[in-house]
Amino acid sequence: MAKKVHEDQRYVTALLNNNVALVNEIYKKCAAKVKSFVLFNNGSADDAADIFQEALVDIYNQAKYKNLELTCPFEPFLLLVCKRKWLNELKKRSISPVTKNEDDLLHIGEDTFEQAEILETQKKQSALFLKAFEKLGERCKEIITWSMKGEAQEKVAEALGVTYGYLRKKKSECMASLVKLIDKKND
Amino acid sequence: MTEDKILWTAQYVEGDLDEAQRLEFENFLTEDEELKQYLADYYDIHSSLEMELAVDSQRSALVDTLQTLNIQHFTAEQPKVVKLSSYLRWVSGVAAVLVIGMFIWAPWKGNLYEQFSTAPQMNVAERGAEVSDLDKAAALFNAHKYHEAKIALAKLKSADPENAMVAYFYGVSLIETNEAAKGRLLLEDLFKGKSVYKYDAAYAVAMSYLKEDKKADTKFWLEKIPDGAVQYEKAQVLLKKL
Repeated sequence: MAKKVHEDQRYVTALLNNNVALVNEIYKKCAAKVKSFVLFNNGSADDAADIFQEALVDIYNQAKYKNLELTCPFEPFLLLVCKRKWLNELKKRSISPVTKNEDDLLHIGEDTFEQAEILETQKKQSALFLKAFEKLGERCKEIITWSMKGEAQEKVAEALGVTYGYLRKKKSECMASLVKLIDKKND
Repeated sequence: MTEDKILWTAQYVEGDLDEAQRLEFENFLTEDEELKQYLADYYDIHSSLEMELAVDSQRSALVDTLQTLNIQHFTAEQPKVVKLSSYLRWVSGVAAVLVIGMFIWAPWKGNLYEQFSTAPQMNVAERGAEVSDLDKAAALFNAHKYHEAKIALAKLKSADPENAMVAYFYGVSLIETNEAAKGRLLLEDLFKGKSVYKYDAAYAVAMSYLKEDKKADTKFWLEKIPDGAVQYEKAQVLLKKL
């Protein structure tokens, strides 16, 4: 049975619609907590702001392109995503965090962990797909890039100076090559 | 056909199958677990790539909002409760007015023109191994060498006056090189036509007025961009700011 969408989905919708008042509410609830966590773990206020912004954009992406449906409350979810992001950043900078694990998060529900996990995995995956995409031929890259810009495909065909039928054919071939490249990597 | 299920799946999703082939695919899909998996993977890869490659004006608008809120919630000092002498109270009142003024004026955000005038990229379809004049012009344009691009594009324009892409990028180059009036004439013509650059042209004309701080003219041109056009979201955000 599908899990029920949490009422805090409204915050996700607020990000999608750029609803400034509701996004400001997210800041009021969570910004201070993320800031103190980052400051306590060898970071600055600017680091905290960067992490916070990145997490919100990730959630936006997930909602817009991967139909994210929140089954847990928004606040612990965002805090967990931010904490993980900062711990990863510390790892990159080779600094040991003061908070060694997620002990302080034990009261967080399983759903929250699961959703944060999915967000992280899908972000990593997109980066891998993009790497595979970079390996395609120039013409394929051009066709895929144009057709993903979000414009009408007829307009894309016109801009590329090809017929709509040719664009579909070429895009199928190029996407198939890409899927095969990704497939091989996973084997 | 079925020996290459990945290609078959791509053709199905991209609408590159005729009616009979499409039905054949859907028939297979009900029983073939492997094909089902290929289809799910295809959608997954497609949406991930879209996330990375889409020119998402809603996302840019959200990032603008987040950057403004970041200043308020992360960099601004936390309020402290302290007793002030009447002199200090007066001074801090003036300072507060100045700070609020700075936030409204927000010089660190650059002016509206810098925020909203993202230079378009001239993407030229490859037509062969040789580098054509169009490729050269595009390379110059994309490197923001507008003076040189302008000369190259002027030649292409006189050789092919009906080419909407050349006209558009020539118009933008003229505006970037302080020949706004000439550029606008060209872009206004393009806007009157039915090419794919119709609303790109309207947006570029709006930007040229914004650069000159002519708000009424900027608004006039932004309002010509209808819902559904690529530039619509951006135009609406800018209209609100104006």
